Amino acid sequence: MRASVAAERAGLPAVSIIATGFLTQGVVVAKGLGMPDLAVAEYPGVPMTDAPQALAHKVSATLISQIIDGLTKTAAPAASDESVEPAARDTVFSGTLDEINEHFHTRQWTDGMAIIPPTVARIEKFLRYTDRDPDEVLGTCPPDNRLATVWSVAANGVMAGCKPEYMPILLAAVECIVDPEFRLQDAGSTPGWEPLIIVNGPIVKELDFNFGSGVMRAGRRANTSIGRFLKLFMQNLAGFRLLPGGGDKGSIGQTFNVVLAENEDACAELGWSTFGVDRGFSENENVVTVQSVVHISPPTYSAGAKAMDHMRVIHEVIGQNTMAYWSCIGLLFGKWHPLLLLGPSVAKVFAQDGWSKTQIRNYLHENVRLSAERLDAYARHCGMTGLSIKGQVEQGLLPPEYAQSDDPGRLLRCNIKPEWIGIVVAGDPGRNQSKCYVSNHVQGPPTSRRVVLPTRWKSMRAG
Amino acid sequence: MKHADRNDEHVENAVWPLGKSAYPVAAPKGKLVDLNGKTIGELWNRVFRGEEIFPIVRAELKARFPGIRIVDYSHFGPTHGAGQDKALAEMPKLFAQHGVDAVISGIGA
Repeated sequence: MRASVAAERAGLPAVSIIATGFLTQGVVVAKGLGMPDLAVAEYPGVPMTDAPQALAHKVSATLISQIIDGLTKTAAPAASDESVEPAARDTVFSGTLDEINEHFHTRQWTDGMAIIPPTVARIEKFLRYTDRDPDEVLGTCPPDNRLATVWSVAANGVMAGCKPEYMPILLAAVECIVDPEFRLQDAGSTPGWEPLIIVNGPIVKELDFNFGSGVMRAGRRANTSIGRFLKLFMQNLAGFRLLPGGGDKGSIGQTFNVVLAENEDACAELGWSTFGVDRGFSENENVVTVQSVVHISPPTYSAGAKAMDHMRVIHEVIGQNTMAYWSCIGLLFGKWHPLLLLGPSVAKVFAQDGWSKTQIRNYLHENVRLSAERLDAYARHCGMTGLSIKGQVEQGLLPPEYAQSDDPGRLLRCNIKPEWIGIVVAGDPGRNQSKCYVSNHVQGPPTSRRVVLPTRWKSMRAG
Repeated sequence: MKHADRNDEHVENAVWPLGKSAYPVAAPKGKLVDLNGKTIGELWNRVFRGEEIFPIVRAELKARFPGIRIVDYSHFGPTHGAGQDKALAEMPKLFAQHGVDAVISGIGA
């Protein structure tokens, strides 16, 4: 639909071929771009599971006439909602806690769990924790394309159960996702990825984030409510609601991630840079990074007093068994960013054995590999029928080494660049466990923002 | 915050958690009267079997409208993924260059 809108904006009539299961998402995209009446030709069913003859029959028997009509006939305008949308401070509903929750649930303004009603008084408590104008626009939230404002951040923060002092974190997280490079519009794609917020800096302790045992479990208020907030914000401002009527096409999906806070004491003890420093910020700077997570490795246990004792297991379980499969899509789009979460005790063995983060990245870059034949097969099964490793090399999206041979058995690096592998130290310091969080190619690359505290932060926190 | 009681429960006034739309609503462009003699541009996101679907569409259109001209998707960039932004930005220039009168875009699946 986005390409059709681009054509329409160039002054040309356009029709979009859309398979049945994506019609609702198409409506959301078209409406969000201000063209709800774009012409659509429906491919009935699922093209990726049709036999060639069935596909040809569907195109000739049903699709072609819709394409012709879409280019030559003006369809009746879709039923439009003539009601004027509320202003930020307008009351949309008055009621008890239960009644407000019911009203909000019915309109898909919640994530299915109870919310704290966003009242002006509660929102204003959040606004005290920023010097910014409540009406300041932080960016646009595609596909619904609603404007993210400081006010809307506070309203959804209230609903998610955040504390007012989390506001600087919430603002930084939203600034990350509205960055066009983040490609928020793709967060409803079928792999069903979720954003993951990573927090660094003194704010981790100041706001009581959990960075130890159970770091990725719900429970600690800062980790949990802020993680919930971002999902809720994306639902309400970008339109990623479940069907019917929503723009979320995650085929199976997953639940939201709680915030990952780094154990910066462990990093200091090891002499390793923090993830925030790796992202280009200074030590002791408060930083929020958001990236997509499409799937997660098993809890990976590695034992031994030498780095290679651990790397052998990490290479096999996290590298070959977790990174490799989905790297087919990352390679075809020329970008992906796995995040390695090392338990402090595992990181300590690496550090004591003289390994830096760079060496860990380089090892995985060099040794995690998959045959070209399997990469092509996985990609084709996913639907990437018009992309190839060779073609991406020709376009400059992949280094020349990927096309040095036509041998389908050649082993290709799954990680395009070692520096695209993120490393965070967190989790149970009393156990030897690590995990990997795999991103969704060009969708949701790691995007960071400095956390801006209000001028009165210290006095407010002291008070 | 104005509170009233309803069966011993507070009544609260909730505001809207969404936000203003960034784009005003616009109607699609006027349609073509006849596809004969017109130039149709194909836009493909390089996924979901467009390499099979577009050739069939092409053949069907040419059979029904002998004067039609089709500029196939290879003349335009991929409309999804890493090349999407570049492709969309270059489109008006390419449409003009190829004399495109209307567009078929796919495959949304």
